[in-house]
Amino acid sequence: MLDEWSSNILQHDPMLLYRHKRDGNHRSVTSKYEILGFISSGTYGRVYKARSLSEGGTIHAIKKFKPDKEGDVITYTGISQSAIREIALNREIDHENIVALKEVILEDKSIYMVFEYAEHDFLQVIHHHSQTLRASITLTVLKSLTYQLLNGLVYLHSCHILHRDLKPANILITSAGVVKIGDLGLARLIYEPLQPLFAGDKVVVTIWYRAPELLMGAKHYTKAIDCWAVGCVLAELASLRPIFKGEEAKLDSKKNVPFQRDQLLKIFEVLGTPDENDWPGVVHMPEYQSMKRLDHFQSQLVGWCNSRIRGPQGYDLMRRLFMYDPDTRLTAKDALQHKWFQDEPKPTWNAFQTIPQQQIPPHRRITQDEAPSMMPVPQHMSQQGVGHAHMVAFGQSQSKPGSSASFASLSGGGGHYGAQSGGNGRKKARLG
Amino acid sequence: MAADFWVSSHYERWIVDRATLHQARAEDIQFAENPEYLDYLPIYFANLITKLGKKLQFRQRIIATATVFFRRFYLKNSYCETDPFTVIAACCYLAAKAEESPVHIKVIVAESKSLFSQESYGSRPFSSDNGKIAEMEFYLVDDLECDLVVFHPYRTLLSLCKKEASDSSSSEEGETEDLGVGIGPDDGPRYWGTGDGQLEFTPAALQTAWSIINDSYRSQLCLLYPPHLIAIAAIYLTFILHPPTRPDSSPVAAEHISADGARRRSSRQAHNPPRAAATPKKPQDPIAFLADLNVSLPAVAAIAQEIISMYTLWDRYSEDSMCGVPGVGTPSGEGADADGGPDGGHITPSFLSAVLLRMREARVMDASPIAPSVSRPVAVNKRLERAQAAG
Ligand SMILES: Nc1ncnc2c1ncn2[C@@H]1O[C@H](COP(=O)(O)OP(=O)(O)OP(=O)(O)O)[C@@H](O)[C@H]1O
Repeated sequence: MLDEWSSNILQHDPMLLYRHKRDGNHRSVTSKYEILGFISSGTYGRVYKARSLSEGGTIHAIKKFKPDKEGDVITYTGISQSAIREIALNREIDHENIVALKEVILEDKSIYMVFEYAEHDFLQVIHHHSQTLRASITLTVLKSLTYQLLNGLVYLHSCHILHRDLKPANILITSAGVVKIGDLGLARLIYEPLQPLFAGDKVVVTIWYRAPELLMGAKHYTKAIDCWAVGCVLAELASLRPIFKGEEAKLDSKKNVPFQRDQLLKIFEVLGTPDENDWPGVVHMPEYQSMKRLDHFQSQLVGWCNSRIRGPQGYDLMRRLFMYDPDTRLTAKDALQHKWFQDEPKPTWNAFQTIPQQQIPPHRRITQDEAPSMMPVPQHMSQQGVGHAHMVAFGQSQSKPGSSASFASLSGGGGHYGAQSGGNGRKKARLG
Repeated sequence: MAADFWVSSHYERWIVDRATLHQARAEDIQFAENPEYLDYLPIYFANLITKLGKKLQFRQRIIATATVFFRRFYLKNSYCETDPFTVIAACCYLAAKAEESPVHIKVIVAESKSLFSQESYGSRPFSSDNGKIAEMEFYLVDDLECDLVVFHPYRTLLSLCKKEASDSSSSEEGETEDLGVGIGPDDGPRYWGTGDGQLEFTPAALQTAWSIINDSYRSQLCLLYPPHLIAIAAIYLTFILHPPTRPDSSPVAAEHISADGARRRSSRQAHNPPRAAATPKKPQDPIAFLADLNVSLPAVAAIAQEIISMYTLWDRYSEDSMCGVPGVGTPSGEGADADGGPDGGHITPSFLSAVLLRMREARVMDASPIAPSVSRPVAVNKRLERAQAAG
């Protein structure tokens, strides 16, 4: 017979040998990076600033995904769909204007994605101008930011990837003034999807940036939703406030998606109520009847742009990005070729090149992480932390040899983004 | 770029040579009583993944992705040092998410438990603890180096072949549905370049090619060649089965392939008798068409050859229910040496399950702190017997 030890392994822990081998080779997050502080917590995880302990101490942003759990019960249910997407897509892409994923570390039931660090983001630039400088963003900077954003989006779209969550907070800028599209957690490959896009996520895109076809209940949508969001972002950069700042109607108890009346009204007030000429497909939209009951508006876009974007080409670009009909809306590629970018002043690759140092937004604030954290903790405490987390998550399994810090926190915690509290429109509503 | 195979993780990191494949089995060979049995394991595991996938109502592409994950995992690991059943469950769980069709972990665990507890798979206890699969998923993603976007030959098949419009309604059954809904035709430029237009295929012929692609996952081809070449090889084999220029295409064509390989084995063949196949309106020279594609024809021929060898191997393999010979495939029978094998009749899942279990036992014994390991590479059976005598 097999000895007891052996048969016990085969019966009860058949992956033991494998785990031993793997854990033995594992290099933990803290053995590779020094955690400098906590940046922000988003829907899916917490983001930390870290310094690499090798390669000359490069600075990185480490995103730690919350483990997927069900309700309050800590039953571990595997890697979230969002993390899978973000990991899978990031491994396939490589572009100057997309935040680069450096590595992924899987450790103690948590996933750590190590990204290149970006010192700023669009939201922060907007706040800096509206709160501190009290001046609008210069035309050169405005063009540079928009141009680079579009350049990254053209790449994503050429890879058949929809971002589906473009908004100022997700568009980052390095200290060298290079725009980096981030957060691919909602992004999807639309190349031959097995499931219709609608089937997976009922709600995509944060409400203020959500395209009219989505608000009208379209089951099918395209890359054009990202181009709408670019229009909204451009408008927000130009005016320093969201152009369509609607209230989101909440899902009902059965998780049905309600008619987004207020958001549509905010759009119609600026762009006018769409009719069949603007958008032949509008009559087939599920919410068409509800829409017809709303007050009727004329377009105010010319006036809106006059005071904010200055110049006919800027207006023309906005107008085309805000086409109601997704099929005629400007594509990212065509937007990049738009005359606005060819006219003086031309966009620059360092978006901050033309502005004085003191006008550049301040560095990202980092804080000590209040919640159970990645911040350095005394060794004896951290050991305890790991052991405990193991017990909670995996029952009988042993603490692994390679790990050293208390990452296995199962709570999300409530960090905040510096002084910026965005209001509900900044938060995206996501359904599982 | 996710849409371009040549810059994908699949192409850059996961197409390997045969030496690497061979090296990956080095440890298994040490612990196997007869290394020849290892040749059947790719079929055994692919069948298992397909079975689990069907129970989970997976689309064909998810099953294919799960199989590719499994193969990649075992490029780096040994069967004897792992529990392939846990790995299969995790591969299916992960593939469903990677293909944006997630299934709850509880469902995966329940279906795995019920499938793997069948006698054919050694009636093994399979943990109903979600955590075990979740944990495995973690290690799996790590071993896969986070490369989760997988390319499959189906796309090439559909972009190269158009279904003849005339009688497309005749075969709406089964997998053909996948053709329409799951995977749309390739609208992008064909990166490897083609001659002109598309091949004309009858629905039956398209179905055959589709089935051959399904079957190709029972080999290691997905690790050796880019998927579009596998698709072209499948088309090439389909021409042999459904010669488009001969109206009277007869089953004889099938015999060209192997004794009764593709014909009998291909999953959905029965639905589409060869009579219904072939005969496009205007004759197209398929060989010229293939020759015009900007691909390596020797590689295509090598793949076709490999598929045929796989069918030959598969011929000696049968599911337990089909095997009427008593004594064959009995797990852990009276004396391992009398346990069937290639000359004792068909190789069955029961038999392979037993082989696998003995390999794993031998490996664990080797690592056991209690039983001192016996020097290798003495036949592991002997060692086992000794250990049994001692115990
Ligand atoms: N590469 C980076 N460099 C610096 N800061 C970053 C980086 N990536 C993310 N951040 C910061 O962390 C925040 C949250 O990151 P991210 O958007 O990826 O997470 P999320 O959980 O999807 O959040 P949300 O739901 O708000 O989109 C960002 O808004 C940004 O402030």
